[in-house]
Amino acid sequence: MRTSLLAAAATVLALACAAPAHALGPPDSHSPNADAINSAFWVLLVVVVAVVVVINAALIVALVRFRERRGREASRFAAGRGALRPVVGALSLLAVVIFVYGVVVTNDVREIEQSGPNGLGAAQTAQVGVKGLPASAAIEGTESATGEEPITDAEPTETSPLQIDAIAQQWLWRFEYPGGQPGQRTFTYGELVVPVDTTVILDITSTDVLHTWWVPALGGQVQAAPGDVTRTWFKADEEGRYPGRSTVFSGTGYPVMRAWVRVVSVPAYQAHIERLKAGLAEAQGIVQQTQQEQSTPESAIREEGE
Amino acid sequence: MTAPTLTDSRPEVVTRGVPVARKPWIERATSADHKAVGLLYIATALSFLSLAAVEFALMRLQLIVPQNSMIQPEIFNRLLSTAPVTLVVLAAVPLALGLIAYIAPLQIGARGVALPRLHQFSYWLYVVGGVTIYASFLWAAPESGTMALPPLSDTVFTPTNGTDAWIAGTALATLGFVCFGINLVVTLNRLRAPGLAWRRMPLFSWAAAVVGWLLVVTGPMMIAALTMLEIDRHFDGVFFDPGEGGAPLLYEHLAYVYFTGAYLIVFLAAAGAISEILPTFSRKPIFSHRAVAASFVAIGVLGPLAWMQNMYSAPLNEGWTIMAMAFALALIVPIGVLFYVWVATIWGGTLELRATTWYALAAISAMAIGLAGELSYSVIPVGWLLDDTVTSQGDTLNVLVGGGVIGGFAALHYWFPKLCGRLLGEGLGKVALLLMFVGLNVYVLAMALAGLEGQPVDVYKYFEDTGVDGYNLIASLGAFVLVIGILLELGNAAYSWNNGLRARGHDPWGGATLEWFALSPPPPHNFDAVPDVRSTEPLHDIRESIRRRAGAFVAPAPLERVPGPAPAGAGAEPEAEPGGDGAPTAESADPTRPDTSDGGTSSVA
Repeated sequence: MRTSLLAAAATVLALACAAPAHALGPPDSHSPNADAINSAFWVLLVVVVAVVVVINAALIVALVRFRERRGREASRFAAGRGALRPVVGALSLLAVVIFVYGVVVTNDVREIEQSGPNGLGAAQTAQVGVKGLPASAAIEGTESATGEEPITDAEPTETSPLQIDAIAQQWLWRFEYPGGQPGQRTFTYGELVVPVDTTVILDITSTDVLHTWWVPALGGQVQAAPGDVTRTWFKADEEGRYPGRSTVFSGTGYPVMRAWVRVVSVPAYQAHIERLKAGLAEAQGIVQQTQQEQSTPESAIREEGE
Repeated sequence: MTAPTLTDSRPEVVTRGVPVARKPWIERATSADHKAVGLLYIATALSFLSLAAVEFALMRLQLIVPQNSMIQPEIFNRLLSTAPVTLVVLAAVPLALGLIAYIAPLQIGARGVALPRLHQFSYWLYVVGGVTIYASFLWAAPESGTMALPPLSDTVFTPTNGTDAWIAGTALATLGFVCFGINLVVTLNRLRAPGLAWRRMPLFSWAAAVVGWLLVVTGPMMIAALTMLEIDRHFDGVFFDPGEGGAPLLYEHLAYVYFTGAYLIVFLAAAGAISEILPTFSRKPIFSHRAVAASFVAIGVLGPLAWMQNMYSAPLNEGWTIMAMAFALALIVPIGVLFYVWVATIWGGTLELRATTWYALAAISAMAIGLAGELSYSVIPVGWLLDDTVTSQGDTLNVLVGGGVIGGFAALHYWFPKLCGRLLGEGLGKVALLLMFVGLNVYVLAMALAGLEGQPVDVYKYFEDTGVDGYNLIASLGAFVLVIGILLELGNAAYSWNNGLRARGHDPWGGATLEWFALSPPPPHNFDAVPDVRSTEPLHDIRESIRRRAGAFVAPAPLERVPGPAPAGAGAEPEAEPGGDGAPTAESADPTRPDTSDGGTSSVA
């Protein structure tokens, strides 16, 4: 039995070693908040592995040394008063150290950094607080679709991070870019396009059930709850396309509730937005035209005839 | 004064006339005796466990290759909505409760429970709850996910009655558990034997006391949440409707308090059983009775307060998440003390490696992994990374299956002779354990790596481009091995109930607590006479006093494993047994080696 246990342990160990090193950790981070999350992961992984190894090694040693054998007698001892004090002290110390580290690294993740030199609005950078935002940054402007007080002007100025509304629904993400009145904003579905090296603030909500915003390379999970706005941020340091997915069950289409963030250069981003706006204007033109046609008497008669 | 024997004592219960003999199954089903109720709980929980295992295997079959189309999404989502609630609410928790119902009153030397009818009623509520959930498969199965989180569980998104069945079934079972908890708390408070102060109460009963309070405190929250959900669904309520000023978050809070409580109940029951098994088989007292009891209480208090540890991604105030992290990390101390005490209990003893011991050790090992992982998700940023991925799900299974199932089987192996006078098959039990342990670890490790690649929980398919194909294949194979192990052990238990080797006497392990003072199985009134309790190990005291009164010091003989029908080859302790172990057991076949599982029928009938 012991040998089989050891064999099992060896198999597990071999499996763990055979897995490529990167597989042991989360995907590479491309944003300061994801960096902090990943570093916390690695620190805690060391703690977890140490705890698991210590407990299992102690069990195996105790098992091997003190299993029933011929001529051995159990020594009937128990802990005296205070015998466990060092253990309690050490464990408390461990808990306190992890707690302090946890608080520090949590603040690290929450602290919104300014846009970098290559990002949108690089000339001047905004002072943006941890949560809740300084009044200086909030300029009277259009209301955001999520109802959250906007922190930027309608147009992304030189002084503001890019604020985007991410609205979840079964089973798609809708991203509304800054600019324009609600309902007339530039938007995309599924894929969010953002400029590199720019602080992006996401105001996340849902129109139906619970979803999660989670792009591992760009930060942690954030719940999208109807009637609530949760805010997260990232600042992508490299161009690329980063996959994300929802992690809360939302019905039949839940596995396809995925999201992508495409990080492009600033000119490419601006061109993309312009293209979107043009496409949107064109589409709205067509809609208006159709509506006008339908409101003419002929079309009304035709509709009735059908 | 002679050694107390059970056969000589005068019966204390006198009846007028002969009771009408009814069929045994009617007797079992209608009896309010805590042992009958306990057996019903255990049997039903094990039946639901086999259901959960099969459902789990089906889901893993669907996930064995990417974009598999073997099981339709709707069917998968039905399995998804029933398997977790079956494992937790219908199997792991009631298995723990069944063992507590049977053993805890015996351990405290009680002749019954304080509120026997409430106790019995709790079982029937639980059964009706389970049947309600599964009966819905005949019409429309639940499909609103593992916890039926609103708004998804509102009629807009899941209009079928399956969700109502889920809500009703879970609420009924939970109501049953609350009734159970009330009876348990009163029983442990009021019916302890003379001298059995709290500081001398056996550790499994200590765990039971904390479990009772957890049920009483967290159960009503879930019932309230489910009631509100049902009002929302059919009676125009707006408790969780964001459009009308309600908050879906409220349900999450209440449900997580309950499921955190259920998780802790499973852990505490397993920890209580392990704290009985290790001293018994190491032939030495637990390293620190006080520390273990204090740890149980601390876990029971701190654990539910850390419920928001599951909700770091939700729109919560930062202060609340920090508070949740503080409570979750504070659990390091009591849980760490438990593990320390367990190892220290083995240290210096002579650990007899029977199936029970192996199960207990495997449960410790699995729970160590699960709880260490839980520690890491308690740190908020790591929670943001790994909550609701298969990493944390696998980790939770380490405690629910490692503690609830493997630990539950450890307890079942340990107390099986008390339940029916027979041993639970040792050889087959060890084989099943090996399958379970290897399967669980392979599954959890593969899922841990898949979760780091970003695989979320509860999906019915995953895509090839996400890099988790290999992990899912390995995880599925591990899960199949685990399920085979569970089913094998269930079969083993079912077979051993009538065909297992007869246990040697009423105290086959040389236990130290009062349940081993009773006959196996105990009579309806449990004890003819209850000894005065003067320490945490009353039976050990009795053996010592008998040994002293016999006037001769009998050195404990080396524990030899004598092949053949040599009686009493295992040293001094069996002779000192107070229970009326008589002739029929002495000549039973090969009493010291009952782990030859095939020879079950050779014992004396």
